[in-house]
Amino acid sequence: MAAVQVSEAEKVYIMHGVRDDLRLDGRGCEDYRHMEIETDVVSNTDGSAKISLGHTDVLVGVKAEIGKPKAMVPDEGYLEFFVDCSANATPEFEGRGGEELGVELSNTLYKVFNNRQSVDLRSLCICPGENCWVLYVDVLLLQCDGNLFDAISIAIKAALFNTRIPKVHISEDEEGVKEIELSDDPYDCMRLNVENVPCIVTLCKIGHRHVVDATLQEKACSVASLLISVTHRGTVTCVRKMGGGSLDPESIFEMTEAGKRVGKALHAPLMELLQKEESLGKKRQKVGFLG
Amino acid sequence: MLKSKTFVKKTRAGGVLKIVREHYLRDDICCGSEVCKERKDEAPVLQEDACIESNLCSYPHYLIPDTNVVLHQIDILEDPLIRNVIILQTVLQEVRHRSAPAYKRIKDAIHEKEKHFYTFTNEHHRETFIEREPGESANDRNDRAIRVAAKWYADHLAKKTNGGSLKVVLLTDDRANKEKAEQYGLIVYRCEEYIKSLIGNPELVDRLALQPDDQNEITDSKLLFPEHLPLSRIQSGIKNGVLLQGTFHANRDNYLEGTVFINREGEDINEVLLQGLQNLNRAVHQDVVAVELFPKERWVAPSSVVLQDDSPNDEDAEEDETENKLCSCRTHYSNNVLYPTGRVVGIIKRNWRPYCGMLSQSMIKEVTGFNYKVNKVFFLHKKQTNIYIHVKKLRHPIKFHGVLYQDFNAYNLLLIFSQRIDMVPELLSSNLCSLRSNVERLAFSCIWEMNHNAEIIKTHFTKSVINSKASLTYAEAQMRIDDTTMNDDITKSLRGLNRLAKILKGRRTEKGALTLSSPEVRFHMDSETHDPIDLQTKELKETNSMVEEFMLLANISVAQKIYDEFSECALLRKHPSPPPSNYDILIKAAKSRLDSAKALADSLNNATVENFPYFNTLLRILATRCMMQAVYFCSGMDSDFHHYGLASPIYTHFTSPIRRYADIIVHRLLAVAINADSTYPELMDKHKQSSLCNNLNYRHKMAQYAQRASVAFHTQLFFKNKGIINEEGFILFVRKNAIIILIPKFGMEGAVFFDNKDKPSPRLIFDSEGPTLKVEQHTFRMFDKVKVTISLDASNIQHQRIRMALIEPVIPGVSVPVPESEPEAKKPKLDC
Repeated sequence: MAAVQVSEAEKVYIMHGVRDDLRLDGRGCEDYRHMEIETDVVSNTDGSAKISLGHTDVLVGVKAEIGKPKAMVPDEGYLEFFVDCSANATPEFEGRGGEELGVELSNTLYKVFNNRQSVDLRSLCICPGENCWVLYVDVLLLQCDGNLFDAISIAIKAALFNTRIPKVHISEDEEGVKEIELSDDPYDCMRLNVENVPCIVTLCKIGHRHVVDATLQEKACSVASLLISVTHRGTVTCVRKMGGGSLDPESIFEMTEAGKRVGKALHAPLMELLQKEESLGKKRQKVGFLG
Repeated sequence: MLKSKTFVKKTRAGGVLKIVREHYLRDDICCGSEVCKERKDEAPVLQEDACIESNLCSYPHYLIPDTNVVLHQIDILEDPLIRNVIILQTVLQEVRHRSAPAYKRIKDAIHEKEKHFYTFTNEHHRETFIEREPGESANDRNDRAIRVAAKWYADHLAKKTNGGSLKVVLLTDDRANKEKAEQYGLIVYRCEEYIKSLIGNPELVDRLALQPDDQNEITDSKLLFPEHLPLSRIQSGIKNGVLLQGTFHANRDNYLEGTVFINREGEDINEVLLQGLQNLNRAVHQDVVAVELFPKERWVAPSSVVLQDDSPNDEDAEEDETENKLCSCRTHYSNNVLYPTGRVVGIIKRNWRPYCGMLSQSMIKEVTGFNYKVNKVFFLHKKQTNIYIHVKKLRHPIKFHGVLYQDFNAYNLLLIFSQRIDMVPELLSSNLCSLRSNVERLAFSCIWEMNHNAEIIKTHFTKSVINSKASLTYAEAQMRIDDTTMNDDITKSLRGLNRLAKILKGRRTEKGALTLSSPEVRFHMDSETHDPIDLQTKELKETNSMVEEFMLLANISVAQKIYDEFSECALLRKHPSPPPSNYDILIKAAKSRLDSAKALADSLNNATVENFPYFNTLLRILATRCMMQAVYFCSGMDSDFHHYGLASPIYTHFTSPIRRYADIIVHRLLAVAINADSTYPELMDKHKQSSLCNNLNYRHKMAQYAQRASVAFHTQLFFKNKGIINEEGFILFVRKNAIIILIPKFGMEGAVFFDNKDKPSPRLIFDSEGPTLKVEQHTFRMFDKVKVTISLDASNIQHQRIRMALIEPVIPGVSVPVPESEPEAKKPKLDC
């Protein structure tokens, strides 16, 4: 990830600030930066969302396609993730630089989102064992300014909320040949229930304390971070430790607790915002990428 | 201004694609009217004084038709009187989508300057473009777009004329749309309403297309036939063996039955029986169809019910009834005679050909009864009366291979009831190729040297010039033979020939040649009107037999010669032995056992019953029915040459080249064989020869059908003039619901039905082993003598037919009283 050169003195300054619950930009340890979300920004997708968290810019598009269900779970659809680390986001992604990160990100996202606790995968089933909806979630990093996971997870939740899957009917003739029929009304579509879709909260251990939504400088001061995916009920669905440093169990527990608290607090305003945006309907003036 | 249009589409691979199109809206689209002074880059199309005399719209106005009006009333819109019409883009697109011909016509109308039709691209106009709303169907959206555009026009024109009188009138036949448009403040009329208001031009009303009223729309959407499967499904079905492919053959006696011959090799089922209109599913004779087999429980024997396409007084009831009949006959057949049954699920290749027919009141019924083939050209094969004494000397074949014959490439003399259409020009057929007395004629002769026992010592074929001493008719020749006072050379040679012929015939009969019988009918025609006056069965004289005998001998000799010379490509004629099962009915009738033609011939000869002289003839008629069809074939393609009926190991047709194409081929072969002519490639190609044979056989069969139809037709004409006739007859067959009766006097057959639609059927007990049919108390057996009344039923003009009703034996409720034979008398209601 983008490296920021931080001098020892700066590090001490940041760490001391964190210790006193006061960060460089004036936030507390459990505060997020200013966040902007807009959905339905890409018309070619079935659902999309763009988020800016500080200077981190992420665009998520969801495309629904008909595929074959996996043999183990014939009555479920599934999600596929692809993270494109654009070289626009940071110079490090130039060439094949972003590839490794992209794979790591998409694997993590797959673990967090592609399970029936998070998304109602059964609703994606069209015909058990034959057809199901596959949601291709494409994540495009536009700009990197730390805390990619959190930003991406929120954007995914918003994009899934925005996703409209065309309704299909299975018609079967007397010989058992099934055919998929598409409704001719473009408004006749299926929505996903995103209530249980978790958000990722990344906590960075800085000194003896931890912060959420770390900037690049703060990140440089941290040796280890803990990635926790939390649902709106505060349930932790996934925990992952990142970075080379070590964490003692005590602080892991503390960080998990903090993550739960922060995550739970994150869902409610997010959903409220998404619903509010939708209620504006078609008349909403789109901001898009120029806003 | 940019908008995007989004829609989802199914891809060919089965996926679902979301498609987003850019859609530009403009505000510089011209309204096309003369009153609007803005932007004159194009000449305005719509006139300012758009007046038409109407008692609904007394003001000048432009018309805006909706999609259905354009689709259905295009005749009106095309009329030169209708001018100043605004065709909206929405309407145009919908029309294009739904009907290409209508689209083309409206486009033509738009291009015509005189019509003043203007296309308004409302979909790209900023003020008239609308987006589809949730819950709105595509049609509703388009209707709304039309209303919005009409409203825009109304407002626009009002503004441009400063509240002037120019208006727009929306034409729609959709009631809901009309109501909404009225609420929206538009002037709106139904098309009919508007056109009728054009008092100055009442002729337009005639061009109105009839609109089904909303209330009494045709709700009778009963599915008449199961839908045919798409071709892809048929192909996959055939590949995996679910469906079978074959050629459909309609049953000639029963329009509800047909057979599909499966022409795939390695198939254990090669014949599938189809019963009922639903299962026939619109297949027409000789279509290549895909059939689905029914499970074994539903396999049946072909029904012995005689079905006639009766006048359709009550379609459904009749349908049910016939279906019931079909069902009921399943039960009493033992399992070993079951045929596989199935239904047509699709038609792979239609056997298109010209049909002729009549439209009856109920179209549908007529179409379903359409199973019989109708052929345009028939060949008829009839004995001519003039006869040549010099049997051995045959006529010279007219020698041109080229164009003329290729045109025939088939068969030949067309003779339908005393009107003959010759195969070759008349000069050839009735003059140059006829051996006339004392005139030299070219001929192709087959000369035998025979001893007194009619044994052939030497056979010689040659081209010859013949000066015939006398040309006699059969009757004349017979008279000479019989007249002992005549002893001239000709008569003597006739007697000699007759003696030899008798020996030949005797020998042939010895070998087992059959003398079968089919009642041949001849009509006496009124020379003026060509109506048949009387009809009689043909009577055969000894001379007929004499001529026939030598003809047969010539044919056999020629067959042997050409086969010896061209073992691969000789055109021969064979008559296969009938399979034993064909005799079933005969055995049942005669209770005798038959295994060879000889046995059959012997037993036929012996089968006489005292006081019943006609019994033998009846048996022979039945035996004829058991026979297989004699066919032409190419010697290189077959190994069985036997002619069953003539008991000859080899046979061909040689003696009548002026009326049979096969004989011409044989003549050519023989000419080559005796070095009198050169050959040509087609003659030596056994595949070409074989396909020619098939065509000959086919044409021959058709000719026979035509002949039968012709006889049946004239029989009808005959009975039409005769009124009601009471006649004796014999039961030829006993069926489940009817008896088939042969009237020897007229040589005609007819059925007496016992089940009846109008009144309850009498108690019928059918025993297929007898076969006997017990009607109430009376049991009918084959060959029973009955008395019937014959009349022509002309109640259905398309289906005039001879009706027979039983007079004797008298069965109460079944037989009819003896009607008076008054031609004018109103026919009693007969059983049918």
